[in-house]
Amino acid sequence: MLQHIIPATGLLFTLQNILWINIGVFIGSVFAAIPGLSVILCVILFLPVTYSMTAIPGMMFLLGIYCAGGYGGSVSAILINTPGTPHAAATMLDGHPLSEQGRTKAALKIALYASTFGGVFSALMLLFLGPQVARIAAQLGTAEYFMVCVFGLTIIAGVSGKSMIKGLISACLGLLISCVGSDPMTSYDRFTFGIPRLYLGLDLAVCLIGLFALVEIMAKAERRLDRLNLDTTQIKDDGVITKAEYKRMTRPVLISSLIGVMVGIIPGTGASEASWFSYNTAKNMSKHPEEFGHGSVEGIAAAESANNAVTGATLIPLLTLGIPGDGTVAIMLSALMINGLNPGLSLFTTQGDIMYAIMLGLILVNVFMFLQGKFLTTIFAKVVSIPQEILTPIIVIFCFAGAYSVNGNYFDVGVALIFGILSWVLRKLELPPVPILLGLVLGSMTETNFRRALLISNGSPSIFFSSVYCIIFLVLIVGAVGAIVRGKMKERKASQQKED
Amino acid sequence: MSKWVEQFNGRMDAWGRKLHEKEIRIPIDLVTGILFFLLGLGVLLVMPDQVAISEKDVVNGRAFPTMLTVVLLLCCAMLIGKELYKLATKQPLNWKVINIQVEIKALIILGILVVTYLLSKLTGLFVVGAIFCCLGFLLYFRCRKKSYYVITLVIAVAIWAAFRFALGVDF
Repeated sequence: MLQHIIPATGLLFTLQNILWINIGVFIGSVFAAIPGLSVILCVILFLPVTYSMTAIPGMMFLLGIYCAGGYGGSVSAILINTPGTPHAAATMLDGHPLSEQGRTKAALKIALYASTFGGVFSALMLLFLGPQVARIAAQLGTAEYFMVCVFGLTIIAGVSGKSMIKGLISACLGLLISCVGSDPMTSYDRFTFGIPRLYLGLDLAVCLIGLFALVEIMAKAERRLDRLNLDTTQIKDDGVITKAEYKRMTRPVLISSLIGVMVGIIPGTGASEASWFSYNTAKNMSKHPEEFGHGSVEGIAAAESANNAVTGATLIPLLTLGIPGDGTVAIMLSALMINGLNPGLSLFTTQGDIMYAIMLGLILVNVFMFLQGKFLTTIFAKVVSIPQEILTPIIVIFCFAGAYSVNGNYFDVGVALIFGILSWVLRKLELPPVPILLGLVLGSMTETNFRRALLISNGSPSIFFSSVYCIIFLVLIVGAVGAIVRGKMKERKASQQKED
Repeated sequence: MSKWVEQFNGRMDAWGRKLHEKEIRIPIDLVTGILFFLLGLGVLLVMPDQVAISEKDVVNGRAFPTMLTVVLLLCCAMLIGKELYKLATKQPLNWKVINIQVEIKALIILGILVVTYLLSKLTGLFVVGAIFCCLGFLLYFRCRKKSYYVITLVIAVAIWAAFRFALGVDF
């Protein structure tokens, strides 16, 4: 490890990288602070920008957006009682009441400190755990890799929507769309319908712009224009946090960071699950549970440290197995692969310097997130009340410019539009879009390993049950499906009882 | 001019109120199951034409999409079966309410997006589409603040300039 760290620091500490980290952190904080805009939307919009960059600045920029997104959501949650991102909902429970007690700056400060701690803790975990998991991943063959892909897809399909069957339909749709273009093994064209441009396949960034960004624009039809007039001059408190409060926050921050890491490693789970789980744990362990929901410093600290502790942990399965921990890091996989960085042990050995630079960079991202949070929070707070009339056309222009810039033609803009319409229809049919994203990202890898494994076994499917790792993943898939189905049945029963 | 705008807005509001009450209820799981079942059958039908294979291949390019389509068909069959069972046992189906006003508004937004795309493509000037997009959405939101028009147009041109001159995108 040490032989990579010294050259990695040299690669990381350049003016260009530091600049891109700061741009990413700023954009991520702004996007996450605005209710209705999500971190995933932000990463999709700015993904084409990274296509002209090398691996380290590109990843630093995207990681800046991703990590700052974890903190930015808390700004609007505290200020206007509306979470900027779904995972800031738990922060809102105590953040806004504390703000109403005249301690807005203190609430923002607690969120920032806890987010930074969670983020740095998670980055350190990635640094130490990543290479170990990669060593295990190196022992996996094509059949095992196929099982890993199926495992990732099953979990994400299971937890993404209300119905597991609908999640699986979405995942199949994503995988089928990934088949468009040339066959990865024989180069024969598939599902191109005589359109030459489709021979190269559909670009991930273009599909995602339609699936996640343009559909949000169409969804403006469902919402009323709510004015979020925030008077930032009202934030007048000195933001002092007492020694006793720091002491009270220590334990929930540590435990929540650990919970965030553990939740983040499991594919399909994310910051929302981590923050709610941590919030409840902190409440159960607190000496003052009665304060929760009324401005508890422990509540804010627990939720915020957990949702940022997820950031590094989601990268562990991504960098070692190629299985994204959540939807946002799935997009980062394409930024890695475009630079020839394929997940696995080789990434930590042959490309070790770059890999360690990215992992160390995550710590740096959190440091700059802290600094920007400390000095620019007033700007983030003002951004919360940007009117939708201005924001909507700007997002559309970004979407179209981003789609065009991928290959420099309007065909891709048309594809993005078609995916926007498809996503709208899927939304109406209550089909979750995240499994489609995973299907698109993992499609080629899943198919290549599936076919290679069958080629090795001369067409016999017994190869998928032949090794210990295959059996382990099979048991994990069955166990996960069982747990998800049981959970969904419980949820249904509970909602039926409520209705009765 | 302002009187004409007021009249137009009044008519739109009255029309919107009428449409707001119009709703369609659809058995969402049943419809999803049938739609995707048909899609799966369609994929299987076009597969021989759309996926060329070599006879020598042990595992050819049709294997993976065929497997996916079979999984898709099975999922759809389960979804349809579940809903038909509910229907037979007189249990309530999963209904979705589609509001006509929302769908028309979404179509108008889609119209703005399509015209933006066509204007950019036909003129070869992205900035023309970008300007239309700003005006289209500000009018959609019935924005009356002149400052918003100025701010949005300036930002639109700035985004185009940033992509054109800083990132070297030729449009």
